[in-house]
Amino acid sequence: MKKLKFLKYSVVAAVLVSFAGCNEILENVEPATSVSGEVVLTSADGVNALRSSMYSKMRESFAYRTEYFVAPSAFTDETRNRPGSTRYQGLGQAVGTSGTAHIASWGAHYNVIQDANLIIGAIGEGVLPAETLNRFRGEALAIRAFAKHNLVKVYGYDPGNFGQGELQGNWDLGVIIRTEPTIDLADADLRPRATVDQVYTQILQDLSDAKALLSGVNANNTFATEAFVDGLAARVNLYAGNYGAAVQAAQDAITNSGRTLQNSPGAVADMFDEGIGGHPEALFRLVVNPDTEGGGFNNDGPGTYTSTGFLAQLPTQFLIDKYDAGDYRLGWYRDCVTAQRIALNQPTGCASVNTEGFSLVKFNGARGNHVDDLPFIRLAEMYLIWAEAAAKAATNPNAAIGPLDELRTARNAGPTPASFASITEMEDFILDERMRELALEGHRFYDLKRLQRDIRNPDETIKMRFDSYRILPQIGTGLRNVNPLLEENPGY
Amino acid sequence: MLKKLLTVCTMVLLTSSVAFAQTGAIQGQVTDAETGETIPGANILVVELERGAASDADGNFRIANLRAGTYTVTATFVGYRTFRQAVQVQANQTTMLNISLQMGAVGLDELVVSGYAVTPKRELTGSIASVRSQDIQDVTLQNPESLLQGRAAGVNVTADSGNPGGAFRVSIRGNGSINAATQPLYIIDGVQISFSQQSGLTSTSPLNAINPNDIESIEVLKDASSAAIYGAEAAAGVVIITTKRGQAGRTQVTARAETGVRTLARNVDYITPDQYVQYLGEGAALNNGVSLDNDISAFIDGERNFLLGFFGEDPFNEGQLANTDWQDIIFSDGVTQRYNISVSGGDQTTTFRISAGYEDTEGTAFNADFTRLNLRTNIDHSISSRFRTSVGLNVSRSTQFGVCQDGNFINCPPSQAMFEAPMSFPFNADGSYNAFTRFGLPNNPAVQRDEVDRNVTVTQILSNINLIYRATDWLSMNGLVAVDYRNTEDEQFRSAIAAPGQGGWTTFANRNVRNFNTNLVVNARQTFDGVHNVSGLIGTEYRRNFSESQLVRGDGFPGPFFRVLSTTANPVTAAGTQTEWRRGSYFANAQYNYSERYFLNVVARYDGHSRFGSETRWGFFPAVSGAWRITEEDFFNVEFLDELKLRAGYGITGNSAIGNFASRGLYSAAGSYQGNTGLRPSQLANANLGWEEARELNIGLDYEFLQGRIFGAIDVYRKVNAELLFARPLPSDSGFGSITENIGKVQNQGIEFEISSVNVNTRDFTWSTRFNIAFMDNEILELPDRTPIGENNTFTALKEGSPIGLIQVPRYAGVNPADGRPMWLDGDGNITFNPVQADDAIEYKDGFANTVGGFGNTFNYRGLTLDAFFQFSFGQWAFPQTDYYFTRTPDFLMQMSTEVEGRWRQPGDMTSYPRAVIAGTNFIETANYRTQLSTQSIYNASYIRLKNISLSYQVPQRWASQVGLNNVRLYASALNLLTWTAWPWYDPEVAFGVNDIYGNVTAASYPTERQVNAGIEIRF
Repeated sequence: MKKLKFLKYSVVAAVLVSFAGCNEILENVEPATSVSGEVVLTSADGVNALRSSMYSKMRESFAYRTEYFVAPSAFTDETRNRPGSTRYQGLGQAVGTSGTAHIASWGAHYNVIQDANLIIGAIGEGVLPAETLNRFRGEALAIRAFAKHNLVKVYGYDPGNFGQGELQGNWDLGVIIRTEPTIDLADADLRPRATVDQVYTQILQDLSDAKALLSGVNANNTFATEAFVDGLAARVNLYAGNYGAAVQAAQDAITNSGRTLQNSPGAVADMFDEGIGGHPEALFRLVVNPDTEGGGFNNDGPGTYTSTGFLAQLPTQFLIDKYDAGDYRLGWYRDCVTAQRIALNQPTGCASVNTEGFSLVKFNGARGNHVDDLPFIRLAEMYLIWAEAAAKAATNPNAAIGPLDELRTARNAGPTPASFASITEMEDFILDERMRELALEGHRFYDLKRLQRDIRNPDETIKMRFDSYRILPQIGTGLRNVNPLLEENPGY
Repeated sequence: MLKKLLTVCTMVLLTSSVAFAQTGAIQGQVTDAETGETIPGANILVVELERGAASDADGNFRIANLRAGTYTVTATFVGYRTFRQAVQVQANQTTMLNISLQMGAVGLDELVVSGYAVTPKRELTGSIASVRSQDIQDVTLQNPESLLQGRAAGVNVTADSGNPGGAFRVSIRGNGSINAATQPLYIIDGVQISFSQQSGLTSTSPLNAINPNDIESIEVLKDASSAAIYGAEAAAGVVIITTKRGQAGRTQVTARAETGVRTLARNVDYITPDQYVQYLGEGAALNNGVSLDNDISAFIDGERNFLLGFFGEDPFNEGQLANTDWQDIIFSDGVTQRYNISVSGGDQTTTFRISAGYEDTEGTAFNADFTRLNLRTNIDHSISSRFRTSVGLNVSRSTQFGVCQDGNFINCPPSQAMFEAPMSFPFNADGSYNAFTRFGLPNNPAVQRDEVDRNVTVTQILSNINLIYRATDWLSMNGLVAVDYRNTEDEQFRSAIAAPGQGGWTTFANRNVRNFNTNLVVNARQTFDGVHNVSGLIGTEYRRNFSESQLVRGDGFPGPFFRVLSTTANPVTAAGTQTEWRRGSYFANAQYNYSERYFLNVVARYDGHSRFGSETRWGFFPAVSGAWRITEEDFFNVEFLDELKLRAGYGITGNSAIGNFASRGLYSAAGSYQGNTGLRPSQLANANLGWEEARELNIGLDYEFLQGRIFGAIDVYRKVNAELLFARPLPSDSGFGSITENIGKVQNQGIEFEISSVNVNTRDFTWSTRFNIAFMDNEILELPDRTPIGENNTFTALKEGSPIGLIQVPRYAGVNPADGRPMWLDGDGNITFNPVQADDAIEYKDGFANTVGGFGNTFNYRGLTLDAFFQFSFGQWAFPQTDYYFTRTPDFLMQMSTEVEGRWRQPGDMTSYPRAVIAGTNFIETANYRTQLSTQSIYNASYIRLKNISLSYQVPQRWASQVGLNNVRLYASALNLLTWTAWPWYDPEVAFGVNDIYGNVTAASYPTERQVNAGIEIRF
């Protein structure tokens, strides 16, 4: 009997102990849609996927679609809200003393930079063939430069304009420079804002490295190419006041892209339509395809804002009045009711923004739901940069006329002035030409800012003086609580 | 591991051919102590052996095959106090035991399920709230969470949604966590319920699998000393649900049928089109500098014509704007019916209870519906004197119409009811859909009603098998295997009318949960020298929770006749994922009491979890508690006091409810470019990530006096949740938003008071009362880097010293009498027209309900019972987002509440509502009235609700028996019949989701509904 009892207790004990050794079971649990960093950075598939992520982050981010394209127009005089619509109303209403709306997406750009930094600095040798890796690094450098320029042109004054603000002389802070990948916690250190000049130096360094790595890579404009690097370099150098370099880069972009200006009414009118024109002038177009990109985007794409859905930001009469009657580019303006694809709002009241009741159809999707490829830098901008930079490099306003005329002829824009009386007159004309050509392509606010012009309403009353501190956005306590080294812009 | 368990169990089985000892029996009759009438259906239990029987129609019972020895026998019956007595059983003899039960409320002899064991309430040292089946038998609710509302002190239950079958936010003793889930652990007969992969179409709960009619009791383990035995998942409390089981004796059949009507508990008043036109006309006039003492009819006509152009004219009233009451169209009364039948009985070796239930409850919002078919079988069988087994199997299939909600969605019924314009109308004169509703044809509410299907079907199996081996009289072993398998199918269909862009589409999501837990517990109980009672258990447990989902979508139907995927033109989405976590545990509990006077209880649990960093995978959760029954002391001799027990306990519990892979450095598949899926860094590694810990001190006093006529408890607690799993913000220029670390502390403290009384107790009439109230206080003690998070946020600011759910808004200062502009106060108290949140907001209120509870009265006259139960919640303030943005303030949605009628019109008007404006770009003067939240946008969400009232009539036995039945009961009940609140919108129950910790914002949630039912219950 005693033996039996002993047996029983040992059985009880044995069963309990048999449950031990759980640790192994607990460790063998793996996520289904994530992997460790090592797997990604040391395999060709992983690096390919990382590169896809970098482009995808641009496509996914509001900062690279509606904010990039529409906000600089809504903030200035190119668009206004259709009565009853509210999208981007805040930007239209923001004036020098009230309304805190601004164009400001800090994190979105650094998200793109994060992937770029990994491609640039964390891929071991031998993971990919050298040629492929060089190309990927070149693309990553170009995209990093693009993201950094998008950041610095919002958060800081442009080079040479550091005395622009009314509150504080010589305000030259730009944004944080981060060029190394964040692999572990120690890499996510706190940093102060670099100066604008330091940021521009970094951007130009990236672009020059990228150009070397992408030399001759121009076949596919849906990825960053040499021509895109040239185009971006032209833009950055123009902002930086390196006019000679800007002219050279713009010319390189034109040559390397192998593209030509569209010069017939139909080709100009339909060039933004992926299904018809197919973006023939795009130096870089980000592919947005609902079949492969998880449905694209719906309610917050530039198409939805401007034409196919909400019809919220319509071209102002002020903008439309800039064109001559025969200008082919008027083909981008179409009746708002017929252009609308999905009646997210009743298309009423378009005519109270412009008399014909137009919406601008640059972003009308070829594919279903407000989706079309996004052209980030276009050939036409190169001619405009070339013109402005050439004049300023030579301090001769008439040096602008050649490239200007080339563009205007292609567009049937009417006669180009034979001469400009002053640099300012040339600037005025180019500002107007930029509106005609690049309306809602993300330029108007930045052009006025870099040229230190007041922001005006469509009726030409002053909306925000150029020296208002509100030209720069607020960094905000959210970011600054996390990073005390981050200095706020003056006035906030 | 399961295999191992089975092998070992078989071995034990083989070794158990112990000689059968000589046995005896207990037999007797149960009677009412005052009247001497026999009591049928009373439960008699031999406590040590967990064996029982029910008294038959004559009150007789017999329990045989008892080994000789001394046992504790208890007898319980609804409305009577528990009988308890030690009985000596002799071999080959029948011991007579006649039991006379005293009327009165049940008290300290109640058995309470306290975690891996059952304990008499008198021996409890922690804080446990119980709800019994008799408290809830006529409450028509869909799921067990709702049964707790107001009935368990300190348990704050808030409806996340009013749709039938909707979920509840249950918070036990406040919000203890900020980033990990705050849901309690639910255990149904040993099955630990998973909340993974629920429907994406509507608010629902996995607890819908259980039919409330099958519930015997719900226990809430509130304090850490009682919950620590559940270790890492117990920080938010544990809810243990026990289902009804069969009793030996005559087979008893209970059938219930009920039907009822469900209506909206409350409507909101909106202005008419005429009033709206008047408003716009005033706005236009004022914009043009015309004051309102002039004739402004031209402006009014202008606005009317604009609206006529916008919406078209009323199809049945030429030239006029329509006047549609969308609330009437969207909400209509629903019918509910439910049927339950259960059969229970058994003999000395086998008892069973099988039950079936069917319910179909229509909600008020269009198409809202909940049906459930539920089958439950509980079988207990004694294999031999040493082996017992029990099986519980619960199979259920429920369907819900997936009402979309909780946001300002233009296609969801609750929000449409709020903001679709009264000037629009659903149908044209020819019966076709009106294409010119506020958001066009696809979002016409009638199209949403008739052209959209959202079906949720949940099939769930809950099952548990126990094998109990009684090694000796004092030592037993209990093995449990429990599964919770749930399949959820989300099917959504939109016709080409509702989705013109795609030519119609359909999606199908298949979601599976395979949740498994098993444990083995060794129980011991021994008494030495008659006074030293020692008991305890040690056990081990394993749980694996696996979940997966697949989602497909196809666009483009060839015509209105098809709706399945195969008929769509384009396959658009194919997505799917899976995830899991695992936990292994060891636990032990030792209890000692001296002569049932001094109690000591020690608990230890050691848990390992796959979610945590390699360095911190295992956590230790200890607790100690004690009690002193003062009334047992010789020196304490107060005549009217029956029981006074002082309890104190301290314990540590854990919260592991974070992402399954929160500790790992991860690259996630996300985004894609040109068809290539992206992989991107999503998370930095933290090998030191560990558990959240809740450290809680609880001191309580149980009391019972005047022979059980008054009893209850008071508990005081302080719970500090430390090592909070916090997403510590990282500088976003690093590319990462945050890293999950153990930082931060939140404290909840409070007092809970419960009292029940039998006020009148005569032979014909009894009146009993129950009341509970909990006062709670929530405070953030420590944050990462001691820095506020979202310091200036209106609703989500986290600050040390403040509660979670702080609301920060500028003060509203009314309307400028001169020009009708809204005014605010800035931080210094001066009038401003443009307040700035960061500078001018004050710490105004919070969304934490700090006083909750309930009270009820039961009146019993002969066979007639009236029960009224009220539930209340005070201290919560919230922002009604949809109501505010789209009906309280002028906006483009063209619907406004009647509040606007009190607006400013003339200079000198003293009012709080500003002047009329035209919506759109040109209402600068009051534009910020809509967007500037302030004290006037925050409402008090306190309420008292008549949660349940029921009237039942027990048809006298002599009538019932004439038709061959021994028990017939008729009843009527009503749910949410009356609500007293200052909240002017649909529903003051504010919870944005089941894990909403802030509680201060609500947006177009499905409102609570009222239900009136009548039914009959027959037993034979």
